This record gives sequence, C-alpha cells and structure tokens, in this order.
Amino acid sequence: MTAKRLKDYGKVNQDKILSFTWENKKYFGYKGDSLAASLLANNINIIGRSFKYHRPRGIMSAGVEESGALVTIGKNEYTDPNVRATSQELYEGLIASGQNAFPNVNFDLGYINNYLSRFFAAGFYYKTFMGLPPFEWGKGTKIWMIYEKLIRKAAGMGKASKMPDPDKYEHANEFCDVLIIGSGPSGIAAAVEAANNNLDVILVEQDHVIGGNLLSNSNFDFEEKKYFLQKAGIKVMTRTTAFGLYDNCVAGMIERVNDHFFLPKNNTPRQRFWTIRSKHIILSTGSLERHIAFNNNDIPGVMTVNAARHYLNRYGVLAGEKIIICTNNDSVFETSILLSKAGAKVKVFDIREKIDENTIKKLNTNNVEIEFNKAPLNIQGNKKVESIDIGIKVGNKYKKVNEEECDLVLISGGWSPVIHLLSHRGIKPKWDKENLCFLPSQSSEPITVAGSAAGIWNNDDCEASGIASGLKAANEIGIKTSDYFFPKQGGWKNPIFPLFEIKSNRSRSKSFIDFQHDVTSDDIRLAHREGFVSVEHLKRYTTLGMANDQGKMGNIIGLSIMADLLQKEISEVGTTVFRPPYTPISIGALAGRNVNKHFRPLRVTPLHDWNLENGAKMIETGLYQRPWYYPKNNEKLADAYIREASSVRKTVGLCDVTSLGKISIQGPDSTIFLNKVYSNAFAKLPINKARYGIMLRDDGLVMDDGTSWRLSENEYFMTTSTAHAAKVMLWLEELLQTRWQNLKVHVTSVSEEWAAVSIAGPKSRDTLSLCVEDPNLISNDNLPFMGLTQTKLNNGIPCRIARISFSGELAFEIYTPSDFAYNMMNILWESAKKFDGCLYGLEALGALRIEKGHVTGAELDGRVTIEDVELGKMASDKKSYIGSAMQKRGVLADKDRETLVGIFPRNKSQTFDAGTIICKKNEIKGYGIGRITSVTYSPGLGHWIGLGFIKGGYTEWKNTIVVGADPVRNKEIDLEIVSPHMFDPKGERLHG
Amino acid sequence: MVDRTSALDKNYEIVKKINDEKVNLIFNRNINLQITQVAAWPDTVSKVELIISKYLKILSLPRSNFAEDNDSFAIMRVEPLKWWILGSDIPLLSTEEGTTLDLSHSFTNIQISGPSAKLFLNRFLPLDLRDNSFPINKVASSAIHHVSVKLWLSRNGFQLFIPRGYAMSLWEIFQESATQFGYEIK
Repeated sequence: MTAKRLKDYGKVNQDKILSFTWENKKYFGYKGDSLAASLLANNINIIGRSFKYHRPRGIMSAGVEESGALVTIGKNEYTDPNVRATSQELYEGLIASGQNAFPNVNFDLGYINNYLSRFFAAGFYYKTFMGLPPFEWGKGTKIWMIYEKLIRKAAGMGKASKMPDPDKYEHANEFCDVLIIGSGPSGIAAAVEAANNNLDVILVEQDHVIGGNLLSNSNFDFEEKKYFLQKAGIKVMTRTTAFGLYDNCVAGMIERVNDHFFLPKNNTPRQRFWTIRSKHIILSTGSLERHIAFNNNDIPGVMTVNAARHYLNRYGVLAGEKIIICTNNDSVFETSILLSKAGAKVKVFDIREKIDENTIKKLNTNNVEIEFNKAPLNIQGNKKVESIDIGIKVGNKYKKVNEEECDLVLISGGWSPVIHLLSHRGIKPKWDKENLCFLPSQSSEPITVAGSAAGIWNNDDCEASGIASGLKAANEIGIKTSDYFFPKQGGWKNPIFPLFEIKSNRSRSKSFIDFQHDVTSDDIRLAHREGFVSVEHLKRYTTLGMANDQGKMGNIIGLSIMADLLQKEISEVGTTVFRPPYTPISIGALAGRNVNKHFRPLRVTPLHDWNLENGAKMIETGLYQRPWYYPKNNEKLADAYIREASSVRKTVGLCDVTSLGKISIQGPDSTIFLNKVYSNAFAKLPINKARYGIMLRDDGLVMDDGTSWRLSENEYFMTTSTAHAAKVMLWLEELLQTRWQNLKVHVTSVSEEWAAVSIAGPKSRDTLSLCVEDPNLISNDNLPFMGLTQTKLNNGIPCRIARISFSGELAFEIYTPSDFAYNMMNILWESAKKFDGCLYGLEALGALRIEKGHVTGAELDGRVTIEDVELGKMASDKKSYIGSAMQKRGVLADKDRETLVGIFPRNKSQTFDAGTIICKKNEIKGYGIGRITSVTYSPGLGHWIGLGFIKGGYTEWKNTIVVGADPVRNKEIDLEIVSPHMFDPKGERLHG
Repeated sequence: MVDRTSALDKNYEIVKKINDEKVNLIFNRNINLQITQVAAWPDTVSKVELIISKYLKILSLPRSNFAEDNDSFAIMRVEPLKWWILGSDIPLLSTEEGTTLDLSHSFTNIQISGPSAKLFLNRFLPLDLRDNSFPINKVASSAIHHVSVKLWLSRNGFQLFIPRGYAMSLWEIFQESATQFGYEIK
C-alpha cells in the first residue's frame, strides 16, 4: 500500500500539524485526522497482530466497525487498549502502539501460530478440556491446568494497565422530545424537520464532527451544517455514542469529553455517561459495508471501498496508487471515479454479468476499467498487498484467470444496516433478499429507523426518510397531523448479486470472516460438522461476532455460509441478538463519580466529627460509619474494647447510637396500630413510658426488635435496629396504605432528626445529672426503668431521655435534635470524665449485649421465631397481630427447633468464632445441631463467650459437652451450653 | 441556647473557584433550616388547607409537587396528605384535624444557583429541569446515588434537601463535579 496525502483534498486542517508517537517513533498528522488516517498517510501498513494467528493486520475500514487496526493508546496508568485507530482522534502528543505482538508488530514471534493454525481452529479451547489424546483421552483434564495458564496468557489483545484508573468520569441526564442517533443525511434531515415543528431535538453523533457518510463527499461542510443546526435550536452532541436503548425511550450514551486531549481540560471528566430520556427516538445509524471472504483477505492493504472514499475526501489521503476494487453492488462506482480522479489507477472486478451502459460509459470516461463475472480469489503478499488473483466461476468453484499487481484492494460485499440499537429492544430484524441485508422490523415503541439504517441506499432517499421520520415523530407526539411517506428500500440501478464467500480450492485456506477473532470460513464449516448450527451456538463456538466487534464485520458472511451448509435461506438461520454496548465503553464511565470513598453513599451520624476528634476508629455498618473503638495509647482493638466494656461495668460509658432507626408515629389510631404491629401488648402503655417490642413478618418469623416510647396520647417514637430501619419504615407504610387504610396514623422517618447517645454504667445517672437542667427529673423515682422524660440540657438543648439498657447496666438513652448533637456530646463527655468514664464503640457494645444474651441482627437473621430467641413469653395470646397466625404453624412450633443459648469454651483459655457449627460429640457432620452467631471476650466473666442456637435449647444440652466444629478454619473445640443470660442473670445491675 | 452545627461544617469553606475565568454555580447553605411537616387525614384535607392558608395569610395552598413562597416562609406539598412549611411557625392542629412534626434537623438545605445550575443538577438528578417541565416553585422527589432528596426551584435558585447523614458525602461529590463549571460557595 502506497498512500499519500493530497493537498487539495479532505476536511482536515493541513495548516495545523500535530505530532504523535507510533511504536516509539515520532510522526506527524493534521488536526481533524483520525489516528488511522495519520498512520495511513505515513505509510504505516501493519497496525496490529491478529488474535490467534498473529497475522499482520492493517486498516480495514474508516469507522467503528474496524477489526484490524486495534491499538493501545497512552502509557502507564493512562494505558487504554483495543482502541480502534479509525475512531481515535489525533491530538498533539498522542502515544499509540500496536498490540498482541512481540517484540513488535512488524516482526512478531507469535506469527508461528499461523503455521500451527490447524491446532487453533474454532473450539480448540473447549477441546483442551477433554485432555491430551491419547494419554488422557476421555479421562478428563489434568493437563488443562497447564493449558489454562498458557491460554490465559496468550488470550486477549491489548493489555490494560494494572494501576488504578487516574481519570474522572461522571454521569449526566438529559431530556428532549426527539432523540436522533446518527448525523448522516437522514439524521440531519430528521433533526431539522422535528425542530421546525417546535420539538426539542437532540442530535447525537459518535464522530467528532457531524455528517456521517456525508463526510465522504468533497463538498460537505460539517462546520457550516453544525452551525445551521444549532441555530435551529437543535442540541448537537458529538463524540457521543449511543451504546444501548432501554425501556420508555431511554438511551445510554457515552460522551468522550477528553479523549482527544493528552490530559483532560478545564476539570472536565474523561468521559461522561449520559442517560437521555425522550418521547421519540429516530435511529439514523447508517449502514456498514461488508467484506467478502476469500483467501488472505486480511493482508494489510485490504479495506472496504467506502473507507477509501472517506480517507480521500475527509482526510485527504489517497490510500493506494494501484487500486483493485471487487464488488457485487453499485455502491463502488462513484468511489472508483473519485479515486481515479485523485490520481490512482483503478480497476473494478464485478461478479455480476452486466450493469447499465451509462455507468460503464461513465467509468470508462474517468479511466476506470471494469470487468464482469470476476471475483477476488487470493491476495498475494505477506505484510502488504502485492497482487491479487482474480477468478471466474466454473461450476461450484472459482478458477484463477489472471493476477493483477496492486497495492490496495477495496472490497464491497454489500451493506448491512446498523440495527444493533433496535435489537436491544428485542426487535428481530428480517432478511431482505433483494438488498441482501437484515432490515429493521416495525417497533411498537416510538422508535423510527431512517436512512441507510432502514436499507435506503441513495442520499436523496435517505434525506426524504429523515424528513418523514421527523414528521412521524411530530405526529406521534401529538403536535401535528400530517401525512408522511418513507421512500422504498434499496435504490441501486443494478441489483446486488449474492456473494459472501469465494470458496477456495485449497484444502485449508485463510479466508477470514471475523477479522478481530481470526474466524475463518473453515471455522464455520467445522462448527457445522460438530453440530453447532444454531446461530447462538455458532457465535459461542467460533467467537464470530463476539466482544467489541458485535458482528459488525463478519456476521452476515458467517450466517450465509451456515445457511448454505444447512441448505436453508439466511432468513431461516436468523441472526444473533445484539446486546449493549454497541461499541466498547469504559467501566469507569458506568461507575461515574461513585468510586473509591464514594463507591457507596457514605452515611454519618451528627457525632461523626466529634467521634473522629476524640480518637474513634470507625467501622462501616451498612452505609453508616460508626465508632468501632476508641484506642488509648496505641491500643489494638482487642485491648480497647475489653477496656471500654470493663469501664462501662465499673463506672460509665458513652456510645453514639444515632444509627438506630427512628420513626414518628402520630394520630388517634397510633396505639391500635402499634398493637397490631408488635407481637407484645402495647394497648395499655402509659404516657412517658417506653416498651421493648418484637415485630414479626406475615410468615411468623421475627422481623425486627426495638423500643417504642409513648410521648403523648396520640404520638409514639419508635426505634428500630440500625440494619432494619428502612425495612421497618417501608413495612409500616405498606401496612397503612394497603391493609389498614381506615387507621388515622401518620408514620415519618425521623432517623436523621435525632442524634442518640447511650449512657451506661453504674455512674450513668450521676453523669447525666450534671448535664440536665433539672436532675430531679432523672431520679430513680421520676425516671424508673423504661420511663422517659422530655427536658433540656443545662445549655438549653432540648432532649428526650429514656431509661433503657442494652448493656444490662443502669443506662439511659438521650436524644437531641441532630444539629445539637456535637454540643450535647461535649457536655456529656465532660461530665463522664469526672467519673472516670469512657467512650465505647460498637465492639464493646457487642460484648456487653452478648454477656446479657440480648439479640441483634446476627441472631435476628430472618430465620428465627420469637420462641427461638427465648422471648416467646412476651408474645400476647390475647390479640391478633402481624404474624400471630403463621407463627403457630407446625414447622415453627416444632420442639426440636434451634433455640437461643449461651456458649462457653470447656477450656476457658480457648477461643472460638462466629459461624462455628455445633455438633454432638463424635458426630461432626453436615449442619450439626446448631450454630454460633456471636462471640466475644467477656470482661465480666473473664473468658470467651458466645451466643448461638442449638436444637432443643439450653434445657436439652445443659451439662453436656458438645463440639464447636469450624471446618473453614480447621478448628474443633469442646463447648458448654449455658443460659443466654450469662452475666448478671437476675438483672440486678439494671437498677443501679 | 447553643448554635446549631451543620452537617457540612467540616468541609464548608467560603471560596470562589474559577474555571475558564467563569463562575457558573453558586452554593449557599441554609444553617437555620426550619421545616415543619403538616399532615392531614383523608377527610380533613380541605379543613387543614384552610387552617394553614389562614395562618400564613395566603389564598390557597400549592398543589402536589409545587410550592408557594414569600420573603418569610415557603410551603410545599410533598405528599398528597403532607405539606412542609419552611421558615414559619404553624398553628397546632387537633388530633382529629391532623398532625405536625418538626423536621428541621433532618435535612441539609443547599441552595444551588447560577447559569449552570440545571446542567450541574442533571449530573446527578434524573429530573427534567427544562423551563417548561420545571417552572419556578416546582417541587420533586428524586435520588442522588440512591439517596432520596427533594428539589424545589425557588425564586433564588434550586433548593436541594438532603437527608442530614448523607449531606457531607454528597457535598464532597458536588464540589468535585462543580470544578468544571467554576463555582462560588457563599
């Protein structure tokens, strides 16, 4: 291939020179070039090496369908592999290299695979599963362990950076009346028509300039056209690819904001993921020219005819001097004349017997030779095209009749409308025998296909279909009532002739169908012989149309060969379903700004800053950041939480418990409502009293536990567990909206309204007394266990205080409006310090509650009944409540159910872990007889303890040694089963 | 009584960050947010509307997902049976009429204005903010990164209400995104 840049051709700015690096060598191109155009102009033929056989590959197209020129852009953490050189805009300082080659693309040791190709035919990978014959034939795959390493190393094309992605990405939303995808002749016409009808229009183009196929016309001015469109009020989005269509006219788009700069500019992200919602979508996505399968059709210097036209008229690059064009359709003639006029020697071989005389005359007038009944047989050359063998059909085979010296072979095997996006909507295309392509079927959604995407080939008809699409959108949206007419499909003077493959006379040929995956026509035949005849099986067995190609280049050829083998029509064979994305998109763009620290929304309590300032180590519980422990003097967790729990038992501790769910329940029927929701009685709860409650699900299993405080006759304040706060809120809403619509109750989440601190320990009342305006309010008489009061702290902060204990100690929970939390904690901590108190975190909180046998999310895991957790006595048998019927069903009343117990190690110096299975001595198997759910070191008892469930419960297993089996950690330990109330079983400490 | 602390205190700095010589976004937080939720029963909606309109001295209450405001207060209908009253005390209702609830500390209120406010908000919110679809005093509930938020277009700009616990997390992302527009924090 001997390409050259022509001064008077193209739309690139030849006054603006850009330098770039290819394979570590500096080259120059022009502003407006694609990387492929610059490489072509610099006469670089070999751009990459093929997937399996490491064959040299050059530029085969001028757009997103490119299968040969896949390159790696950037270096180090900015490495971006498998970029199509045809779509990559050139910029100053661009660094690019070939891929899948060692040491380089011009001389690649991997080329040896080309000679071993019989071992790498379709499905070879799957056959390696079967073992190495004859040694492992039918026995399995010991040697697979070796194969796997080799195959994994060899697989893939470019290598991604292993460093973190340094780029920023973001999401964005946009709305419009009409979304037009593709800015070719039909897209532009549709946009103008829709805008003229006062519709809000977005026109999306994946290229950096608008025009689509118009860019291959010498007289098309994309800047002038864009200005005109924008003036008409149309939002034009270039460098934006519609990668998927979804329900209700929602389209997913990727905008390459900064991929045409060395580094992002103006703090903008590298790419932006748009979700665009419209009332009507017009798909003017164009069509792709097909290759023809014949021997060595992948040698650098073979490309589609229309690509050569684009390189000439858009980039000013004449891709060859001696050009052979092989075709089966009319679309090549204009291009052949253009190439001839630009100075190339052009000869056309047309498989058809004849075409109209006018075209022949026109070709001859422009020095273009044409011969009929002839097809390409074989390319001669290794790293570049040197000549082509031309054949004529004799019977079922082709016979070589001459060899033409050339440096560029252009192929046109027909055109395939880009129907990928419509396929995402589940619409199956239909095969059109006349135009030899799949055409879009009618959509029941407001989606219209226009232009060559609808199988309309000539420019004027494409524009007419665009206008009709714009009118159709206006009609369907309801702002216009007028007739519109779509032109007929097709439009060539002479009918296309079905030519998909020139079958070689050789026993094995390199006749490629899918260039990206090295799938040959022989591979299709092999798949057929081995029974993989359905298109979906064919795809997976041969990799035809997989990965970023998505069938753009080779699908139709593969299907035609399979149809021929099955002696069926292509329409009977069908086509695969195309899935998003249409072209590859960065995972980073899908994540947007939701990465690293912001991968999930971070939820903090109003005391978060206070906790950090006071040395808290934090832990994630759900989305919440909660204090885990407060180390002193470089303490580790194990020491810190034991110290903290011990302090609570001895003096006083403060713990941020804001993450508890909080729900306001208001209305005259609040009491009735709570009485129906909770399993225990709430009908007679006095004002200024709180009660612990357990709510069940409909199926009788425990949903959540918490307390509810009666603030007034008609108002309650409910707390839930941290984990189930949202679930309980939704549940209460659902009950009120669907089952008990007659109840006058409003529920509102006030989880964010109130900050909460637990003050626990023998000195808790003393601590609190120093903080409240009237200490008398919290005396034992005025505030007994489960009593509550609403008062003020001595700096005027309003608060609610309840005497509630999760630790088994004398304890209070104090709630203030969140914006006062910081100041509340300052007061409390100053007071607690006077009593040698401590701050304690989640770990100590857990230790204290396990000692007392109090259950939490680890135990209330959605599988237990109220009886299982030894709280059955709380459940009322005098009322009906949610779950009351279903909890009585046999399986839940079984006496052999696993029941809550406390667990000690027999040898008190030993430890054990949550998740351990409890088994009978000498019967360590299966699920055992129980499980351990929570463990801790008990400061109160001086050894390791746990909570768990065992069949039959404490009474069944007391005084019996069981085994804690932990097969994951390969551990076994003798255990004693004890009452879950392991510390202060009589609850004396609760009263101070 | 002590001052309130905002969820953004740790990371709220009055600053102007110009991009391309422009400031296209202005952030302004409301540190003394006062929200009272008023809820009626299905059979008392008209009665409660009357009580509120009399108290606030306005002719009628806004319809669903709209607000009314003047210099001292705003009222928005956030659910079919619920209104939020901002910046004003409200009359106590009898239990038979409805309920009231203070939510002043539940949300962090950030005002977002400037020429790029819509563009910026659409980086996060899947709401149609075009003039015809989102006029002055329109209110909508939506989500940012799965966090439920409320948006009201007041005469002074968009008012975003974020649950307090998530406010800092979203604020950090806002600042990161805002650099491309050029922004000022007031």
